[in-house]
Amino acid sequence: MVTNSRAQRRRREASLGYLLLLPAVTVFAVFIFYPFLRNFQLGFYLNPPFPNLPKRWVGFDQYRDILGSDSFVDSLKTTIAFAFLTVPAGIALGMALAVAANRKLKGIGIYRTIFSSTVATSVAVAAVIFSMLFNPIVGLLPWLGVNPTPPIIENPDLALGAVALVTVWQTLGLTFILLSAGLQAIPEDLYEAAALDGAGATTRFWRVTLPMLSPTLFFAVVIGSIHAFQSFGQIDIITNGGPFKRTNVLTYSIYSELTTANHAANPGKAAVLAIALFVITLGLTLIQMRVLERRVHYAR
Amino acid sequence: MGRVLLQGVTKKFGDVTAVDHLDLEVSDREFLVLLGPSGCGKSTALRMIAGLEELTEGTITIGDRVVNDIEPKDRDLAMVFQSYALYPHLSVRKNIEFPLRTRGVPKDERAAQVESAAESLGLADLLDRKPGQLSGGQRQRVALARAIVRDPEAFLMDEPLSNLDAKLRVQTRAELVELQQRLEATVIYVTHDQVEAMTMGDRIAIMKDGVLQQVGPPQEVYERPTNLFVARFIGTPPMNTIPGALAGIGPDTVIGVRPEHLQVGAPTDDGIDATVAVIESLGHERHVICRLADATMVIVRQATEIVPPAMGDSVRLRYDDAHAHRFDAATEQRVG
Repeated sequence: MVTNSRAQRRRREASLGYLLLLPAVTVFAVFIFYPFLRNFQLGFYLNPPFPNLPKRWVGFDQYRDILGSDSFVDSLKTTIAFAFLTVPAGIALGMALAVAANRKLKGIGIYRTIFSSTVATSVAVAAVIFSMLFNPIVGLLPWLGVNPTPPIIENPDLALGAVALVTVWQTLGLTFILLSAGLQAIPEDLYEAAALDGAGATTRFWRVTLPMLSPTLFFAVVIGSIHAFQSFGQIDIITNGGPFKRTNVLTYSIYSELTTANHAANPGKAAVLAIALFVITLGLTLIQMRVLERRVHYAR
Repeated sequence: MGRVLLQGVTKKFGDVTAVDHLDLEVSDREFLVLLGPSGCGKSTALRMIAGLEELTEGTITIGDRVVNDIEPKDRDLAMVFQSYALYPHLSVRKNIEFPLRTRGVPKDERAAQVESAAESLGLADLLDRKPGQLSGGQRQRVALARAIVRDPEAFLMDEPLSNLDAKLRVQTRAELVELQQRLEATVIYVTHDQVEAMTMGDRIAIMKDGVLQQVGPPQEVYERPTNLFVARFIGTPPMNTIPGALAGIGPDTVIGVRPEHLQVGAPTDDGIDATVAVIESLGHERHVICRLADATMVIVRQATEIVPPAMGDSVRLRYDDAHAHRFDAATEQRVG
């Protein structure tokens, strides 16, 4: 009798658990799992060059063709270059600002607010601001009396750097907040102990601040890289992937396959590129976790 | 090793005076305890010696140097923090080695010095662990090892035992004194625990509200407290204070009598009228807590052989005049 009621209660608790999980599972299923699987499936079909013709099952052939193509390799190279232009610079700048703002001074809150403000600025707004700054007629450079030809965003050698600059600026707020929080979590008495142990300001930075901050830095590098691989808005607004596809990062190439400006939409190819982006991001994160995390000191 | 001299040292935080014209000389090889309740300025004084706080006024001399404008790293001091402040990302070995590395001691020497410091504190087996894998007592030893690995002018200790459990604290207390004697070190030790102060210090400096109250060897401070604050702060249970009016010497004086110097007598005896409120038995002794006519509570320390009174009994309390401390009721300063 007793065991019976206990079993009943356990069953009731279990069904309540599943019931409570249901909303989350539904949302995930509709917005993550289904699109993900559907994407895989789309990648197996070759889309015809003209709309209204039937698409054709080609299986993994399409994956092989696209991932082996020059345009994919170029796009991947651009994406990697973009990540290298944005992540280290963003972390270094964010770190410099966080260290500068991490002191007890009157009015320091104003600086902290300014430094973190780009977190509340959307990519679109940032891109528009910088488009204006880069503008060859009303922009900052002509105002300063400099007039590069071709204009920066039309210059194949500078366009990616220009978009990277916007990205660094736009992500600086988040990096600053992350690193500031990390810095503030370092106990003051560690610095005091280090000072008495004979460490000057530079030694304290390298031997206390940096190792104590390493978990935060690691986190900032990982999400910064993911962020860089997924950047889209600023490229779409400022360069449209040009000039000469020099800013055609993977996200933009996916988008290009789906727009119908120059050709019929090619969801099959876009799906393959999207899967490739997913796998690359996943792989990169795993590599970072294995390689970088060895240098991370988690305080226990 | 060296002496530390504080002259007119004052620290103000805005309108608050944390340390008020502190004059104190700590001799070479002395174990000086800075004692006082929390907020009395003892930690601030220690931090000024360390160079972690700037002085508002006064001078601090370590050895032969005035150190007011010298950075902590150049003061040649070692400090043990209440939190231990171990570097969590470094192994025990690297923690102990840290002050040697920053001072550019060659590698071989470093290794030997770390070994010897670790050996003397029983840490030899823990050198490759991280602080997070150690117990509180072990961390405390690492903090000590990091301090003694060099031969600084003086050791500063800020409540280093307060995070240990009671049993370990008593044990470590004795070990610290032994260590100080072996190293012939100058130690300035901050605590709020008067038992630690009594048992460890060559001299005790008692502070209250930023002001130094009394400096002297523990026994002297115990036997001749300079004012009522010191009288009540030193000793467990604390010294009883009996209003002069009840003791028959007029209202301008307060009598202080330590619990061991009070005797419980029959209501017909001479002495001060009192009622037994509570009796606490501690096994080796007994505390008879009595209420005087004006509701003042006093504690009588009694040997267990003596037959105890019953709760609620009316009694007379007696003391030998030789053991009575007299204080001015208004100024609270010792009289005579």
